[in-house]
Amino acid sequence: MTITTSRRAFLASAAALTVPLALPAAAQMTETLSPEQARWPDSFLRIGEDGTITCILPTCEMGQGTHTGQAMILAEELGADLASVRIEMPRQPSDPYRLPFGQMRSVGSYGIRHFHDPMRRAAAQMRMMLMQAAADRLGVPEHALAAEGGRIVHPETGETIPFADLVGEARLLPVPAEPKLRPEAERTLTGTNVPRLDTPAKTRGEAIYAIDVTLPAMAYGAVRLAPVFGADVAAMDPASVQDMPGVIAVVQVPRGAVIVADSWWQARQAADALDITFTQTEHDMLDEATLQARIAEGLGRDDVPMTLTRGDPSATLEGAGTVVEADYAVPLLAHACMEPITCTAQATAGRTELWAGTQGHDWKRMMLERELGIPAEELFINTTYLGGGFGRKTWHHDAVQAVLASRSVGGRPVKVIWSREEDIAFGMYRQTMQARFRGAVDADGRITAMTVRVAGPQMGAAIVQENNMDPFSLLGLVDQPYAVPNYAVDHAVVDIPVPLSAWRAIATSFTGYWMESFVDELANAAGMDPLAFRLLNLPSDSRARPVLERAAAMAGWDDAPPEGVHRGISVVGSYGSMVAQVAEVALDGERVSVPRVFAAIDCGRAIHPGQVETQIQGSVIDALGPTLRAKITLEDGAAVQSNYTDYPLIRIDEAPSVAVEIVETGAPLGGVGEPGVPPLAGAVCNAVFAATGRRIRSLPLSDHGLA
Amino acid sequence: MTAFTLNGEEVSVDADPATPLLWVIRERMGLTGTKYGCGVGACGACTVHLDGQPVPSCALPLEAAEGAQITTIEGLSKTGDHPVQQAWIEVDVPQCGYCQSGQIMATAAMIRDVPDPTDADIDAYLAGNLCRCGVYNRIRVAAKRAAEIARG
Repeated sequence: MTITTSRRAFLASAAALTVPLALPAAAQMTETLSPEQARWPDSFLRIGEDGTITCILPTCEMGQGTHTGQAMILAEELGADLASVRIEMPRQPSDPYRLPFGQMRSVGSYGIRHFHDPMRRAAAQMRMMLMQAAADRLGVPEHALAAEGGRIVHPETGETIPFADLVGEARLLPVPAEPKLRPEAERTLTGTNVPRLDTPAKTRGEAIYAIDVTLPAMAYGAVRLAPVFGADVAAMDPASVQDMPGVIAVVQVPRGAVIVADSWWQARQAADALDITFTQTEHDMLDEATLQARIAEGLGRDDVPMTLTRGDPSATLEGAGTVVEADYAVPLLAHACMEPITCTAQATAGRTELWAGTQGHDWKRMMLERELGIPAEELFINTTYLGGGFGRKTWHHDAVQAVLASRSVGGRPVKVIWSREEDIAFGMYRQTMQARFRGAVDADGRITAMTVRVAGPQMGAAIVQENNMDPFSLLGLVDQPYAVPNYAVDHAVVDIPVPLSAWRAIATSFTGYWMESFVDELANAAGMDPLAFRLLNLPSDSRARPVLERAAAMAGWDDAPPEGVHRGISVVGSYGSMVAQVAEVALDGERVSVPRVFAAIDCGRAIHPGQVETQIQGSVIDALGPTLRAKITLEDGAAVQSNYTDYPLIRIDEAPSVAVEIVETGAPLGGVGEPGVPPLAGAVCNAVFAATGRRIRSLPLSDHGLA
Repeated sequence: MTAFTLNGEEVSVDADPATPLLWVIRERMGLTGTKYGCGVGACGACTVHLDGQPVPSCALPLEAAEGAQITTIEGLSKTGDHPVQQAWIEVDVPQCGYCQSGQIMATAAMIRDVPDPTDADIDAYLAGNLCRCGVYNRIRVAAKRAAEIARG
């Protein structure tokens, strides 16, 4: 578990050399910020007199390996031992209202790519200060010194001074305004596969997740929430469970109740037994077919503002020889993190403390302030490891429940744990969306026109930009990589009464599937090989080309696949990276299996190639679950699914062997946690088409009798 | 009172005998390495050994542990160097790590039964253990490596 010092204590620490992290120039340009504000909020690099190097960063460790990658970048630039570098999270989130991008949250595959430059800069500043202090002490010029292995070295005399011994002097020096970064030749740590820093603890059961937090006098909370989204408590009778073993309190919270008890099992028993009724909503009878029909109406609407137009797609389509039309759809999806939603709170007068595995410190702070009136200076968040996040753990509901529960038992700490059933049925799903594609190809196989109508919800007014552009709905379409001279994208907004949330790769988790399936349809209409068709239609300088060619080579695309194996190919750019995948599909009767996937990624310079590999492997397997079987559907206004039994995800016996190669093209750093997801469904469905001639236009494959 | 042996130590617990063993281990015994994932024995995050056999402790009532030898991740080896743990570190298996105690306990049982596991053995023994991060490719490599270390 990561315990950090408060910002105030941190700054006041006399025995340390501290360098603030500056926001990237791009963020500074979007806002008028004072020098104080231009620091990355709450983020500092510090070296103590014991030689411990700590970097406070607003990014959590939820499995992506970010903390190891960040420590590598710092250790390398500073010349420190990797083992001496720790990444910690601030306990008091910055003001989320004023932050440009620097929200205190761990999303968007930003952990490495956005902090790389500020971290290097701060580390270089610290190294120069330590070198200056050594130069002063030894009476030699700074350029005669080197920083390596946590020491300043004077090669001429062989003299060395540990960093720790220089902290007292270095901290009195000015922070250099223009630090000199190490040349590429000295970057010998990044780009290697050092062991992950968190692996030993995670193999001994010692890593502390939010669910593991144990405090003196702690009680346990289980929740009972309205199954229908938007419903609230109509009436409840605490007396119905008050005499059950261990029950301490029954606390009303938004949408339901928390039962506080001496143990979680007792709390859960009482939660199940609680006499509680919920308010009616206007969608109590909503079922999946009605929901989908409502969204489908959006496909034909004629009052939708255009988000993107290039050329004259409608006229071109009308005059074209070969026109392809297809409707696509994807269902709601749950995150189903291995660690269910859980938060511990201790709420006393003037101080509210949380123990949470959270991706969204800023959101928790904002919502606790809004919903419970907790001022920021009274809120402290201790961040644990997260047992998965995938976008789900940016929210606040568990924190609100835990605070209300703690308040109700006189400020005793209360650990609220959602059952798996509550976790899956609650909502915060990946949106369900539909799309209508029209496209034309000419006699040479070039795409001459394409229109895309998206129908479905938007993901919040705060993120919708000009021209009805919702990046959480339309990324992957507005920025698709093909050279289509006449192209249009619009979005018929259809609100649905379901709480939605970012899900790994957000829009590209479905737009990648749609676009790459439809491009495959166009290739088929043109009578061309899917790879050749893509290469013909990609601009000559497209980043999609090298990864496509690499993935195809890995899979032996030019040679016929073995008997019974069928291939599909796909390429999607997202989060600053480009990923191509070739999926191999086999059919056992009508049942699809995916024995092998070949993936090539261009993520700029790979800081930790082994972690890039395992993130892509994991993304492929993550994306395969909803490609084959997983979906959330509605009945009577609530989710039908409630556990891993009816929300089936991939097990080892179905997991493909995933080969990953990294293609470095000199592109800037890209994200890694999400970009492996978008190409998978398209690659698999294109392989299914190659195998069966059936074009799969909605997921999962089990809906088509294929899984 | 339910009496059993937990990681080599005799313990007795005064709790509702229907309480799943998982919650006794985590809350009463303070051993949090064993995780709650699904509560219905469907994900394997709570895997412990009962008389040497891997079982989902979330679906095992406390009374079923009476007189049994229970081993958790904390008791798998004295110093965290069981062959499976060594292999897991060598291959750098975990991402979020939440399911890994269960994966390791299931693998430890497998390599005791099957000293040289094939891919089919791994599928059979580990299909009950869900990993949402999808580190199965590395688990496969590490499980074979663990068997190799155990064979000496």
